[in-house]
Amino acid sequence: MSRRLLTLLVVSLIVSAVTAVSFGQSGEYKIGVLEPLTGPLAGEGKRHLEGYEAVRDMINERGGVMGKKLVFTVADVPDPTAAATEATRLVTREGVKIVTGTYSSRLCGAASEAAVRHNVIYWETSCVDPRFNKRGLKNVYRTEIDATGFGWYNVEFIAKHLAPRLGKKPNELKIAFLSEDSSYGQGVTESARQRAKQEFGMQEVGSVEYYKFDTTNDFTSVIVKLKQAQPDILHHIAYTNDAILFYRQAKEQNLQVKAVVHAGATGYGAADFGKAHGNDANGVFALLEPGPGFRVEALKPEGQKIEKEFRDAIQKKTGSYPLGAHQLAGGGLWLLKTVLDRAKTDDPDKVREAVMSLDLPVGSMINGWGVKFSETGQNANERVQHYMLQWQNGQLVTVWPEEFTTNRAKWIPLPAWDQRK
Amino acid sequence: MDPAARLGSAQIDVVAQLAVSTVLLGGIYALIAIGLTLIFGIMRVVNFAHGEFLMLGMYLAFFAFTLKSIDPWVMLPVALVIFFAVGLLVYVLVMKGVIHASHNVQIFTTVGLSTALQNIALVLWSGDYQLFRPWHASVVLRLGATAFNLSQVVAFAVAVLMTAALFAFMKFAHTGRVMRATAQDRDAATLMGIDTDRVYRLTFAIGIACVGTAGVLVSPLYAAYPQAGLQFVTLAYVVVVLGGLGDMVGALAGSLIVAGVEVGGSYVFGTAWKEVLYFILFIAVLVFRPAGLFGQRGAESLGV
Repeated sequence: MSRRLLTLLVVSLIVSAVTAVSFGQSGEYKIGVLEPLTGPLAGEGKRHLEGYEAVRDMINERGGVMGKKLVFTVADVPDPTAAATEATRLVTREGVKIVTGTYSSRLCGAASEAAVRHNVIYWETSCVDPRFNKRGLKNVYRTEIDATGFGWYNVEFIAKHLAPRLGKKPNELKIAFLSEDSSYGQGVTESARQRAKQEFGMQEVGSVEYYKFDTTNDFTSVIVKLKQAQPDILHHIAYTNDAILFYRQAKEQNLQVKAVVHAGATGYGAADFGKAHGNDANGVFALLEPGPGFRVEALKPEGQKIEKEFRDAIQKKTGSYPLGAHQLAGGGLWLLKTVLDRAKTDDPDKVREAVMSLDLPVGSMINGWGVKFSETGQNANERVQHYMLQWQNGQLVTVWPEEFTTNRAKWIPLPAWDQRK
Repeated sequence: MDPAARLGSAQIDVVAQLAVSTVLLGGIYALIAIGLTLIFGIMRVVNFAHGEFLMLGMYLAFFAFTLKSIDPWVMLPVALVIFFAVGLLVYVLVMKGVIHASHNVQIFTTVGLSTALQNIALVLWSGDYQLFRPWHASVVLRLGATAFNLSQVVAFAVAVLMTAALFAFMKFAHTGRVMRATAQDRDAATLMGIDTDRVYRLTFAIGIACVGTAGVLVSPLYAAYPQAGLQFVTLAYVVVVLGGLGDMVGALAGSLIVAGVEVGGSYVFGTAWKEVLYFILFIAVLVFRPAGLFGQRGAESLGV
């Protein structure tokens, strides 16, 4: 091929690429969305995407972002390798300037690393890996609290609510820790252990057990050890199939603890757990975004309005009350819109200025969240208000903090297995 | 009772529960492994899609129960027939073309089949974790201080029955002998007038029927989801290597050993060590007894 022909070819390629990109932006603003839509996290990834879509429509009804209609280019990221390559592809081929996702702590590290390498904004709405914001990456933000925040809230609930209801001082409580072994489980568990011990002097009993969630087929050894350790509180961080299996075996082998506490939209916090166990699930706690019983009146006026609208949108889309994955995605995307409204551009430095300038109290946003980002791009634990939900007759309902809900926590301590009705 | 004696009986209770769980878990592994060892042993094909047929069996039972209220136990004979047919179909459509190809080609094919089946399940039935509770899944039997549920006991009993039946079939039935002859020397078998293609087709169908039935049996115990097969299938390989390729009784024994290492090892060393322990066992067997703990010497090189 002659040199001139080659040059012509390259030029025409560049021209067509440029036109493609500019066409994409006429009247539309495209962001990249990474979700695990296949693989073991597919169920939650799908709900996460539903949350995004509901809020995207709400945003577009209000005129979109930066005066353009917000649209998604969605990529399936079942594992960390896919997360990295797809993030790169969305930036280099689809030309997006903002990438968001990814639901899981297994994915967000790789995805964000790849995105910021191309100097775009990475907007995480749900992973809780504590290392996420400790890598000195400038354009990486997370709207959800990290796992240490989960641990913080869980211990807060155990010390301030469960202890008095069990008639004990926090330092008289015996607590056992069990967890799946990803950075999510380890992050929550280690921060909870630390706070439980140092701040409240709770007694840790038994050895901390970490297990691999997707290949554990029997929990007998764990249950036997727990029976020997006799904890009051079982702090169990789980993905979903392991929570379902553990709980079945715990019932069969009659493991009796006074309370089971989890954090996150997986495991005990997932709808599938309740479906699998029916009334046996009664009494289990999961730290989450607000569920039924949540008093919208407890929010600020602007928060009330947007929260109601969000719930209706999810109800219309899925036929159910928003689930954890919906709420994380929805809350996070709404926050992104708030930032873009303020920045009026997707220039990373201007966006950063806008993010840092936001200071909204608890109750201002979807899920009753407030906003105050740290220099590392992390929304503050105490602003991202979390709620303790409890399984009550087939539904996860909000039970704590009590000022935010009409429901009250029941079955404390947990009665015998056949009386959890 | 003095404290020392009480401690003693508590320890016995622990060991008893661990032992019961080992046996029942071993039964589940055996259900999955016998089909695999059959296909592996006779066809010399590493079927990476094996776990996906387990998953399909779980979904079959799930839908039969939720849509038509059919108990999984009633579904067993139905599943046997359905999965035998599925096995035949998959053999004709997919495996037949690669049965004489190199191992690499076979591996690519079965891995591809595995991925395809997982994603078909995902598209059709979503990624949700589906568990249903027929009456027997809620019946907890107590023996001394041990507890286990009826579904598990029946799964174990069926595992033993299927092992025995397949063992007898391979040993005494004419077709079984033909299958073994084909495994030992494909070319010689052809020269003796054996239609090896027919043997492979039958072997594959029986293997898939076994694992599909296993899926139905474990469905009240484990949630069904598109990747459910992966939860068990790596273990099934360990079992097959332990027991020796194509050895039914070896597969049962291997299952019990793997389950024992898993349950006992998790108790002694902690759950995190589980996989380390049984893969050490796996490597040790490959190094010291490559034909498997119970396999015939030299069997490892047959036809490979």
